[in-house]
Amino acid sequence: MDNSYAALLTLVVFLPALGALVLAFFPKDRPEGMRLFALAVSAVVFVLTVVLAWPTPAGGSAAMTGFSIGKAGMQQMFSVPWITSFNIFYFMGMDGISLPLVVLTSFLSMLALAASWPIIKAVKAYLILFLLLETGMLGVFLSLDFFLFYVFWEVMLLPMYFLIGVWGGPRREYAAIKFFLYTLLGSVLMLIAILMLYFTSDLRLLSPQTLQTVRIAASEDTAKEIISRPTAQHTFNILAMTAMGQLKESPFSGAGEVANGAYVPGTYAHSDLLWGKNLQWWAFILLFIGFAIKVPAVPVHTWLPDAHVEAPTPISMILAGVLLKMGGYGIIRICYPICPDAGYDLAWFVCTIGALSMVYGAFAAMAQKDFKRLVAYSSVSHMGYVVLGIGVWSATFRHGYDPDYWAMGMNGAMFQMIAHGISSAGMFFLVGVVYDRVHHRNLDQFGGLFARMPVYTGFAIGIFFAGLGLPGLCGFIGEVLVTLSVWNFSHTLAVISAAVVILTAGYILWTIQRVYLGPEYKGPHGDHLHDMTGRELAIAIPLLSLAIFFGVYPQAIFNYLEPSVTGSVRQLADWTKNVKDAGGAANPAPPLPAAAKTTEPVTPIPPSNTSTTQSSTRERRPIAPLTSALATGTSSER
Amino acid sequence: MSLPSTLPVLLGLAWLVPLASFTVILFFGPRLGPHGKHGSTVATGAILTSFVLSLAALIGWVWEHPVQTAKHEAHHAVAAKIDAAEKADGKIETGIPKTGDKSAAVETEGGESHEHAGPVYYSGEWYTLVSVGRLRLTVGYYIDALTIVMFTMVTLIASCIHFYASGYMHEELHEVTDHEVTLSDGHHLHRPGRYPRFFQYLSLFCFSMLGLVIAGNIFMVFVFWELVGACSYFLIGFYIERRSASTAANKAFITNRIGDWGMLIGLMAIWGSLGTFAFGDKQTPDGKLAVAKSGGAESPGIFSLVRRPENGHRLMTPEGMVRDGMSATAVGVATDVAKTTAEPEGPAKIGHWLLIVAGLGIFCGCVGKSAQFPLHVWLPDAMEGPTPVSALVHSATMVAAGVYLVGRFFPVFTPEVLLVIAITGGVTLMLAATIAITAVDIKRVLAYSTISQLGYMMLALGVGGWLAGLFHLITHAFFKSLLFLCSGSVIHACHTNDMRKMGGLRKKMPWTAYTMLVGCLAIIGGGIPFLIGLSGYYSKDSIIAQALSFKLANPSPLCGMMFYAVAGGAAITAFYMFRLWYMTFAGKPRDQHVYDHAHESPKVMYVPLVVLAVFAVCVGWPIFQLPQLLEQARPAGTGITINGGVFAPTLVHPAEHLSHEGSIHITATLVASATALSGFLLATAIYCWRLISADEIRNQFRPLYNLFWNKWYFDEIYQKIFIGPVMFVSRRVADFDRQVIDRFINGCAVAVRQISVLDDLIDRWFVDGLVNFTSRKIFALAISLRGVQTGRLRQYVMLIVVGTVGLFVIVSFFWNPAWGAGPPLKP
Repeated sequence: MDNSYAALLTLVVFLPALGALVLAFFPKDRPEGMRLFALAVSAVVFVLTVVLAWPTPAGGSAAMTGFSIGKAGMQQMFSVPWITSFNIFYFMGMDGISLPLVVLTSFLSMLALAASWPIIKAVKAYLILFLLLETGMLGVFLSLDFFLFYVFWEVMLLPMYFLIGVWGGPRREYAAIKFFLYTLLGSVLMLIAILMLYFTSDLRLLSPQTLQTVRIAASEDTAKEIISRPTAQHTFNILAMTAMGQLKESPFSGAGEVANGAYVPGTYAHSDLLWGKNLQWWAFILLFIGFAIKVPAVPVHTWLPDAHVEAPTPISMILAGVLLKMGGYGIIRICYPICPDAGYDLAWFVCTIGALSMVYGAFAAMAQKDFKRLVAYSSVSHMGYVVLGIGVWSATFRHGYDPDYWAMGMNGAMFQMIAHGISSAGMFFLVGVVYDRVHHRNLDQFGGLFARMPVYTGFAIGIFFAGLGLPGLCGFIGEVLVTLSVWNFSHTLAVISAAVVILTAGYILWTIQRVYLGPEYKGPHGDHLHDMTGRELAIAIPLLSLAIFFGVYPQAIFNYLEPSVTGSVRQLADWTKNVKDAGGAANPAPPLPAAAKTTEPVTPIPPSNTSTTQSSTRERRPIAPLTSALATGTSSER
Repeated sequence: MSLPSTLPVLLGLAWLVPLASFTVILFFGPRLGPHGKHGSTVATGAILTSFVLSLAALIGWVWEHPVQTAKHEAHHAVAAKIDAAEKADGKIETGIPKTGDKSAAVETEGGESHEHAGPVYYSGEWYTLVSVGRLRLTVGYYIDALTIVMFTMVTLIASCIHFYASGYMHEELHEVTDHEVTLSDGHHLHRPGRYPRFFQYLSLFCFSMLGLVIAGNIFMVFVFWELVGACSYFLIGFYIERRSASTAANKAFITNRIGDWGMLIGLMAIWGSLGTFAFGDKQTPDGKLAVAKSGGAESPGIFSLVRRPENGHRLMTPEGMVRDGMSATAVGVATDVAKTTAEPEGPAKIGHWLLIVAGLGIFCGCVGKSAQFPLHVWLPDAMEGPTPVSALVHSATMVAAGVYLVGRFFPVFTPEVLLVIAITGGVTLMLAATIAITAVDIKRVLAYSTISQLGYMMLALGVGGWLAGLFHLITHAFFKSLLFLCSGSVIHACHTNDMRKMGGLRKKMPWTAYTMLVGCLAIIGGGIPFLIGLSGYYSKDSIIAQALSFKLANPSPLCGMMFYAVAGGAAITAFYMFRLWYMTFAGKPRDQHVYDHAHESPKVMYVPLVVLAVFAVCVGWPIFQLPQLLEQARPAGTGITINGGVFAPTLVHPAEHLSHEGSIHITATLVASATALSGFLLATAIYCWRLISADEIRNQFRPLYNLFWNKWYFDEIYQKIFIGPVMFVSRRVADFDRQVIDRFINGCAVAVRQISVLDDLIDRWFVDGLVNFTSRKIFALAISLRGVQTGRLRQYVMLIVVGTVGLFVIVSFFWNPAWGAGPPLKP
């Protein structure tokens, strides 16, 4: 079974790269053939992802294809050793969180390639880079090994740099290098966090069952063998890290006693790494910054407007439609599950960033004169909903650990990612359509397009209203779910986030008025304004249809999303109750004096002269809360 | 088939047929007949079907639940008894459950207990939009007498307006020359007609409006609330080439969104604490309450949660809000909320503010939609749309949706919120009425009149006149749509909106003139006191009566103001309506050119006028028992006098039936007639008999006139305090990105480059210099050592010997004897 999954998922991820390889051997003077070939490859990938997503009939034999709707956990996992000396695996799988994003990626890649016809410069190189980019994107969403994830993350970065830097507008070099450096900074921070987590992880802490479900061990015997090993077993396995992060005594929460160069299970205590914060707090911060750059959240968002303005239309579609989603995906898949303790402490920080992005992006959008810049800032605003929805950790003591509102927020955030993928790609495409004709994007030099291009205007108003969050279109569901769920986290943020609907209506309606309404077109090249071509319609129709379909029948996505997202939230809610607040219902502060904990107050014991006597004294040491140990200084002898 | 299963089907179909029409016209619009002429046929057919279905539902309803005046009286008797019991108790009631005595008293009324158990309704769900855990957002229905009356009213008026519009919009069937748009080359705009598009939008609007009315939960109301807003946007901006039209459309949408912001906050307050949006309790398929094992409702709706049956439907802070309120004040989750709520003091206050936030939030949405102060500014501008739109969307249905929602949500409003509603209504009604006095655009006069009348309804609801407000909503819909269609007919004939260019038109267009006269009489509440009147006579009377009753119950001058606003408003209404009629139809023509071209509208336009006029006359007549029908939908527990809120303990909302009694009723009728008559006489004196010169008055009251003429400067003030600052902030934010964040980023890049240049210099001058220096020195050393290379063998041997001895000496100094023994130790 593993093998068939392996084949299918691998095919999905690497088929575009294979296509790129084949494309390299195409004769240079056949651009049309190359375009068609690339489009065909992406169409096949799309079909394959649909096959992946095809619902398996309940109770039917789990065939090689299909997705069991209603299951929360990972499906179709497979794991192949890759670099054994570092426990790195070629480990992939999907659940309700990643699958919709995978389908979105392949779908938008196909449409973006269809939108690439106007590109005439170095077509072969463009298409090759595009297909490599698609491999990177799909790989990020499907990989479950942190190292593999990182590799795909970087694979995605480089083609994007060239696609903006070579095929972009007049300031393309500036935009490309800005994009590259911003994102690279994020990846470097992420790499540090990955290594921090890797070197503190220890598989021996997990139960044999868990080791089997996360595909570390094939059988119980292997699992037991791993647990009985003398030294720490580090791992890059994301699922294993998740399980460790949510342990009662998480290795990421701090240091324990060290024997044979590794922490001894059962000795963990919250301890400080730097400035009074433990390791997972720092890991969370680093990862969050890395993902926030990608989202992009204010104040690390300024690469986005430049990149969008300079990027060619199809690249803008991919950038807004897929690349931004990686940030949200990373936060939902990695930050929160692996570092829940930090997530709990930083919930306010995350939510404030989200709300700030929403408001800031909307204000900035209102002031723009460049059509693409405006849409780019609307992306900042709309992606703020995602960050906010993920962060609303309302499953706390105050609300009786009720996970439902938070689950609604996170579901809304995920839905918003899909909806924004469709509406923002559509918006960028439609801006591109008119740019191809008149070669300018100055909002003050449009007007009257309704009369000149009625069909186009119909599509544009539809897609822009989807962005505005009109009920019946996809933007509404995500926004309203997030907004409603914020109330139980913070009334203030809820009021602020609800106010964004006014600003959004403001800038979108004003844009529609300036561009589409009015008596006549005011800019140059007016004679080129002919209505959409068949190829353009073939791109716009699916986008608008999906925007309507998901707005009217959001269950189409929630059937996939909801079990996984809600399951993940429930785990975190349970974690809050059982681990975070285990000290007692009356005291919601982090409870430290759990019985089994020992105190290793400030620094871990240096690995040099630890002996067995040390670990035997451990049991006899008086148990004191960390705080009191800190208060008395480190007087207790080691 | 039983009623509970038939009604949802009937009304559901009535709701969806216009959507089908919209879809058909969207895809096949221009191909439906020449220039899309049959677009109107499709849309009109659809709305007529809806009307027939609604009528069937109405007949079915009345058949099953006959309107019984006797029962109505009996209900009053019960309510009076409860009142008496309450007075005997002499305590402030709200929020404090009185288990036992009073609800028991209600139960023991025997046959009447059903009456007091709340209205008959059927509710259910059609479709689940989102479901997360136990939280569900659904599309469902809540059908009671109010729903059915609204359905019938909306579809009837919409049908009339569809017929009318098929005549009014005929210009759009061919090439249109828009005289209001001048192109840059100095010509007027020529454009193809958009006849089918207009009907497409109308159909979408009807669908959205009916969805709003049938909605089974407040979330669904919000969904359709936004959709009617969008339809309104498209219809106001129908003449997309006119800048004024598209600006008005934007203004309408954005102003409404400000209201929706508040509504969203209200929704959050409800959702966060109650976890449900449903109005009614969950029912079994045969319309009975679905009972849980514990004996209570299986999943109670909002209304039952705030007015629990076991507490005699008295408004109290629901459990969820108490819990939420406690957690917000960091009291922490009580082990047993129910225990806390059972205590007489305190619990009503904890979390009570959430109930107020919920009520104010929902009302905020209504303020936007119903163009109440301070969000009234969009409605007059919305008159940029074609007149049938003004009649349907911006007078009869959509703007009334705000009033409808206040009526629907009435059981959730606390006395404090009701007071806010009443004040808002009062301010709005006076504000708009004063502006209407000076307006000269015929549609704007009607627009301000609409705002003013909506203020009436809000005020009525706010002073506890649930029935009065909703009754006026229905009657107003008929006469105001009639008035708008008449004005449209005039505009159609004169090609101008300016009343100063009209006059004497009654000879040219008698149908229009006299149907409009009926409308004017209806809106001022014309009639013979105590005998018979037009529809407005009855509804306005009941509002004045309730306001009077409220005034008598509350000694506070603020509450008294409500009554004076209503009475004064009635006089002003009569004045400006007849000013309008006289300026348009009476006297001599002021502009001969306009007069010469004027003509009566075609039959397809004036027949709907006659139909609406008939309804405007008689829909309020007692024999049709419309109030009694509406009374069936009265929310449980709102038919009695409410004494005081938690934060306003002295406030009294007198029971509505009290205002029908003796002295109050007589006083109200007399006041209504007197005020209407005085306004009418004043208008007649100035504009018909010309006893007083209008110019003279204008000069006398110049400052006041300027204030009214400039609409109290609201647009200017909003421009200054809202739009300006928003634009300012947005520009600063955009600048911040470029000037601060990007500068910082670029600065970092530049700094890195500088460092690399420095690095390069260090490499070249220091590192390389050192290396080169070293190599040069070594080279020099080698050159100098060349001197040793003599080639003499003896000298070499001597150097070897000296070297070897030296080595041995050095080694012997450092030798450790242990080195020789055993394997080397690991460190």
